[in-house]
Amino acid sequence: MKFLDLTWKGLNELNDEHQSLPTKNSMAYRDKTDAETTAVAVEEIDASHNLISKFHPKFICSFKHLIKLKVCSNCLSEIPAQLSNLTMLKELYVTNNRLTFLPPELCRLQLEVLNLSGNMFKVFPPVLCQMVQLKTLLMGGNGLREIPKHITNLIQLEVLYLGGNAIRFIPNEIGDMLSLNALSLCDNQLTAIPTSFSKLTNLKSLSLHNNVLHYLPREVLSLVSLAELSLRGNPLVARFAHDLAYDPPTLFEIASRSIALSGTNYTTSCLPPQLIQHLNSASKCPNPKCAGVYFEHKYKQIKFVDFCGKYRLPLMQYLCSPECISSGTSSAASSEYETEDEEERSNDIIRRVLLG
Amino acid sequence: MTSTSAEAVLTAAPRLEPACKSTRSRKTLEPARTLDDLINGLHVIFADDVVDVEEVTHFMESYCAKKNEWETLATFDTHRYTRNLIDSGNGKFNLILLCWGEGHGSSIHDHSDSHCFMKMMDGSLTETKYSWPSEKKKRPMNVTDVTAYEKDHVAYINDSIGLHRVENRSHTNKAVSLHLYSPPFNMCQSFDERSGHKVKCNVTFHTKYGEKGCYKNKCK
Repeated sequence: MKFLDLTWKGLNELNDEHQSLPTKNSMAYRDKTDAETTAVAVEEIDASHNLISKFHPKFICSFKHLIKLKVCSNCLSEIPAQLSNLTMLKELYVTNNRLTFLPPELCRLQLEVLNLSGNMFKVFPPVLCQMVQLKTLLMGGNGLREIPKHITNLIQLEVLYLGGNAIRFIPNEIGDMLSLNALSLCDNQLTAIPTSFSKLTNLKSLSLHNNVLHYLPREVLSLVSLAELSLRGNPLVARFAHDLAYDPPTLFEIASRSIALSGTNYTTSCLPPQLIQHLNSASKCPNPKCAGVYFEHKYKQIKFVDFCGKYRLPLMQYLCSPECISSGTSSAASSEYETEDEEERSNDIIRRVLLG
Repeated sequence: MTSTSAEAVLTAAPRLEPACKSTRSRKTLEPARTLDDLINGLHVIFADDVVDVEEVTHFMESYCAKKNEWETLATFDTHRYTRNLIDSGNGKFNLILLCWGEGHGSSIHDHSDSHCFMKMMDGSLTETKYSWPSEKKKRPMNVTDVTAYEKDHVAYINDSIGLHRVENRSHTNKAVSLHLYSPPFNMCQSFDERSGHKVKCNVTFHTKYGEKGCYKNKCK
C-alpha cells in the first residue's frame, strides 16, 4: 500500500504541487518498493497537523485512487463537494478542524469510516443519514444537541461515538440499529436510556459515563453481548423509597385495562381511531406473576442488580399496580436496597407511616 | 509531575529483598534517547536489590517518546483500553504499554503492594486518586487528587498512597502510556466508587511482546 506522509509540514493547502512526489527512497514513504511512485498509485495520505484551510481541486484530480485520507488537526471550515470525486475513498478522518456542516455530495462516496470528532457541529449533518455504507461514525467533542431518528438508515453501523456533546435525549429508533457493537454516549446530558436498547443484542460496549442518569431501564439485562459498561459520574440512586401515597388510576385507565384484559373485540366500526390506537398501546406488566397491563398509569420500581461487572446497579421497571411491587421477581443477585442499612432504614419509615 | 512516597527507597514493597548498599553509582546512567535505551537502563537499575523511586521516575522522564519506536507494539481496541506486555524485566518488573481509545477509562484499582510508574507516550491521561474505603461501612469513596498527565510526564503510585482511576478524557485523541510494575503482579482489586465494594480481578494482556493472544476474564 502506497502511503504519503504530509504531516507536520506547515502546509496551508493541499494542492497538486504534491504531484511532484518524493522518490522511492524518500522518508515520506513507509512502503519502500521498487515500483515508480506516482500520484495515481497513492492509496493513503496523512496530511494531519498542518494549517490546511482548503483543498486545491487539482489535488483531488491527482490522487484518484485514494482509499484513506487523514486531514486531522488543520484549519478546515468546510469539506469541498468535489471530494466526492475520490470514488475509491473508504476512510476519511477530519478530526480537530472547524467544520460546522457537510456538503450533500458527500453521500456519493462509499465511506465505511468517518471521523468528524473535535469539530463544531451543532446540528447532526443530514447527509450522514444517507451514507448507508458507514460502519464507523465518530462525532465526539462537537456541540450536537440531538440525534436524528433517521440515523437508523445506517443499517451497517457497528461503531457510533457521540461522547462529549450536549445530547439530552436518545430517540427510541436507536434500538433498531442491530449491527451496533460499540455505542458511546459519555459526557452528554442524558437523563434516561430508552427501553428499546434491549434490542441491541450485538452491543459489546456501552459508554454512559458523565451523564445525568439516576438509573438504567431493567431492559439492559437483555444486552447479552455487553462486556464493557461505563457509568461513573452519574447520579445513580443509592436507595429507592417506595412512594406509599399512590394516586389512584383514572376511570379511563381502568376502563382501558378492563377491555384489554377481557379480550373484548374492538374495531373501527365501534370505536374512533384514536381509541383504537390507545387500546393497541397497552404495555404488559413485567411481573411474571401478573397478567395485567398498563397504559398511562404505572408504578416505578427500582431494584439493585449486579450487572456487567458492576456492583448493584439501580435498574428501573414500570409495573401495573402497587401489589406487583411487593410480589415482583427478585433474582438472587438483586434486592430493593443497596445495603442492609438501607433496608433497615426503609422498614423504619414504613413502620412509622403505618403507625401514624 | 510525580507523586512519590515519603521514603525514597522501595522498602514498602514486602516482596523486595532487604536493603543493601547499591554497587552502582547513580550518576552512571545517561538519559534514555531511545526506547531500547530506556528498557536497558531499567534493567540496569533493577539489577540492584535496592531501587530509588526518584531515580526510576527521573530516568523514565528523560526519555522523549518517539512514535515510530512504540507504534508497532501498540494495538487499540474499540471497546476498552489494552495492555501490551513489552518486557518482563528478568522477573523484577513488568513493562506494559497501555493503549487508550477515546473516552476509555479504568476502574478504581489498587496495585497489589507493588510500585507503579506511568510514563506518558502519547496523548493525555487523567488520574483520579482515592483513599482506601472503609472495610466495614459501605460509603461513596473519597477523591483525594485529580491530575492530568501530558506527554513524557511520569506518575507514581503504590498502595500506601492510595487507589486510582486512570482515564483518557479526550473525545478526539487516543492516548498511550508505558507502565512499570515492580514486582510484577497478575491480580489486583477493583473498587465500586459508590460503595467501596471491592472485587478481585485478573490482570491480563491483549498482546505479549507484540503478539496477540486470547485472554479472557480481563480486569476492568
